[in-house]
Amino acid sequence: MNKWLKSILTLIVLMFGMFVGGTTSFAADKPHYTIATDTTYPPFEFQDKDGEYRGIDMDMLKAISKEEGFTYTLKPMSFNAGVQAIQAGQVDGLLAGMSITPEREKSFDFSVPYYKTGVVIAVNGKDKDNKSLDDLKGKKVAVKTGTAGAQYAQSIAKEYDLKLSFFNDSNTMYNDVKVGNTVAAFEDQPVMAYAINQGTDMNIITKPVNTGGYGFGVKKGANAELLKSFDKGYDKLVKSGEYDKIVQNYLGDNSYNYKKNAANEAAAKPTIWNILKENKSALLDGLFKTIQLTLIGIILASIWGMLLAVMGVMPSKIMRGISTSIIYLFRGLPMLVLAFFIYIGLPNLTGSKIPAFTAGVITLVLNEGAYIASFVKGGFLSVDKGQLEAARSLGMPYGKAMRKVVMPQGIRLTIPSFINQFIITLKDTSILSAIGIIELTQTGTLIIARNLQGFRVWLIIGAMYLIVITLLTWLSNWMEKRIK
Amino acid sequence: MAAIVDVKDVHKSYGSNEVLKGIDLEVQEGEVVVMIGPSGSGKSTFLRTLNHLEDTDSGKIVINGWDVSDSKTNIDKTRETIGMVFQHFNLFPHLTVLENMTLAPVELGKYSKDEAEAKALELLDRVGLRDKADVKPTTLSGGQKQRVAIARALEMNPKIMLFDEPTSALDPEMVGDVLQVMKDLAKDGMTMIVVTHEMGFAKQVADRVVFFADGLINEQGKPEDVFNHPQHERTKDFLDKVLNA
Ligand SMILES: Nc1ncnc2c1ncn2[C@@H]1O[C@H](COP(=O)(O)OP(=O)(O)O)[C@@H](O)[C@H]1O
Ligand SMILES: [Mg+2]
Repeated sequence: MNKWLKSILTLIVLMFGMFVGGTTSFAADKPHYTIATDTTYPPFEFQDKDGEYRGIDMDMLKAISKEEGFTYTLKPMSFNAGVQAIQAGQVDGLLAGMSITPEREKSFDFSVPYYKTGVVIAVNGKDKDNKSLDDLKGKKVAVKTGTAGAQYAQSIAKEYDLKLSFFNDSNTMYNDVKVGNTVAAFEDQPVMAYAINQGTDMNIITKPVNTGGYGFGVKKGANAELLKSFDKGYDKLVKSGEYDKIVQNYLGDNSYNYKKNAANEAAAKPTIWNILKENKSALLDGLFKTIQLTLIGIILASIWGMLLAVMGVMPSKIMRGISTSIIYLFRGLPMLVLAFFIYIGLPNLTGSKIPAFTAGVITLVLNEGAYIASFVKGGFLSVDKGQLEAARSLGMPYGKAMRKVVMPQGIRLTIPSFINQFIITLKDTSILSAIGIIELTQTGTLIIARNLQGFRVWLIIGAMYLIVITLLTWLSNWMEKRIK
Repeated sequence: MAAIVDVKDVHKSYGSNEVLKGIDLEVQEGEVVVMIGPSGSGKSTFLRTLNHLEDTDSGKIVINGWDVSDSKTNIDKTRETIGMVFQHFNLFPHLTVLENMTLAPVELGKYSKDEAEAKALELLDRVGLRDKADVKPTTLSGGQKQRVAIARALEMNPKIMLFDEPTSALDPEMVGDVLQVMKDLAKDGMTMIVVTHEMGFAKQVADRVVFFADGLINEQGKPEDVFNHPQHERTKDFLDKVLNA
């Protein structure tokens, strides 16, 4: 038992070591920022086939940082999560083709508008019936959560009796229009134009409205230094003509053809094998992150859960009450809510950032720990009470009697539940993609945003989960035999 | 000689059900007291109050010089001096026979591991189970389990042994071996309080028989007196039923 405990502790330390060692290092004298961006919003940001983030925003940011002498860590996440991460102080800036709106100016400080934009409505290229906003009356339309397009759609929803479907990324939104679930998408003009330019079969049916600009945003009242650097750097880029070069690269005749690049990769031979080969390192990274989260999560959750279980069978009413309340609370909260609360809500209260990975681990520990606590407590309670009486009547104090006699027997009863919880934890890590951890599920989302091979990629991801779960089950069964 | 057990006016209720209604009892060193009485009369409850597995509502219990009814008494130290044997043995199933016996004394720092094991093997020898030292209790018969349980209690060097129906859960052919161990123990001068329905054992070994009914000690005396000339109707009824069963 003691050896076992030691090896587990070593494992935790090792895993954390990898985690810490894996974060980017940077020169101490240059300011360093964490900057959030959308996972996919071409031509402003998207992942190229090597997994690197490219696009107008990304190239501009790189050039500005060089010009102004700062370094940054990029945090791709859904636009919505990015907005919240800014407000929570989890990231310093958000560069994600974000429209400057009066509404947003209440909680953001913006750079100068670096790109002109406006909301347009686009329908399926084969759709000959819907030619204007009036034709959309009473119909279902698609919007991207938290965007200027969504706000515009909401503002006219009543007047035009629109039914809104909300999406988290552009690709899924376009697809929804293409398959006909919704008749039209509300999108920022340059983005829509670019997508159509790249071969997305849609038609813009309105003039841009609510015109304005895209801005780089920081939390209101914070990071003035960063904002100033951005504006200064942008100004230099525009004057030297480099900014136009960047935009030309994506929108001009010689533009970097994102879609074609993605298509080439899949169109050549859209086989599972090719997808695997192309994305080998991304998939392995995602898998590694998933396993890392699972192992650290389940080990810490087990320790926490057992602690709660021990408290739950103590003679003290107060301790039992605390244990029961914690178990009740964290079993009742959906894991997604808990993850958002810890990652986005908590920093609002405490004012200090929590890295997404740490927030993910805390979420797992609290959620899985509550389940573990309740079955371990059940295990303790199901040990015949004659066992405790026999130990106590030999003169062993309560704590010793519990530790040496009741708990070993109770834990033994719960080994099958532990194995089960292990598998559940592995699957639950996919929920943590919502706070921007690029684990296996999020890796799948990112690959699909690039190659549009949803079916095959999810098949691969699904198979990877099953393989890992099978291996974990074997490992658990082997450990179960060793313990017995 | 001071009494090893001195109980005065002990009361105990479960809710509105008064189970012990004022028990007085003295037990001298080396004495063997057998308690009999109908089921539900409070024998187990009383035995369990002696080592504080049960609380009392009022009254005083002094055992081996420790005042068990005083909450300031170090109950763990007190229990080291009291061996308890249960109807259902309560051996620790996750430990071997030897580990069952050495766990408490080693954990409590009473003996070193080597000393504890040497003593345990000696005791196992006495109860005829030395060859079972390294097996898990589940592989033992009921009679063997109970003999291990007795040896486990003896390992702590108690001054007094309490038995709560030690043979009631056993197949008849196992009872003799366990009773023999208890007889040997009595012969060696161990102070014992035994709740049992084994009237033969009572007649042969007991210095005193105590008859429990309705939470009170109804009658007590030398075995031959209580068995042959019971003074109370309740005692007569009970003996008739048990002896003619
Ligand atoms: N834990 C308990 N809670 C409530 N009532 C109990 C409890 N233990 C025993 N009793 C009651 O106390 C009475 C005496 O029980 P017990 O001491 O076991 O009698 P005996 O051992 O003589 O058969 C019975 O009426 C029994 O139902
Ligand atoms: Mg009883």
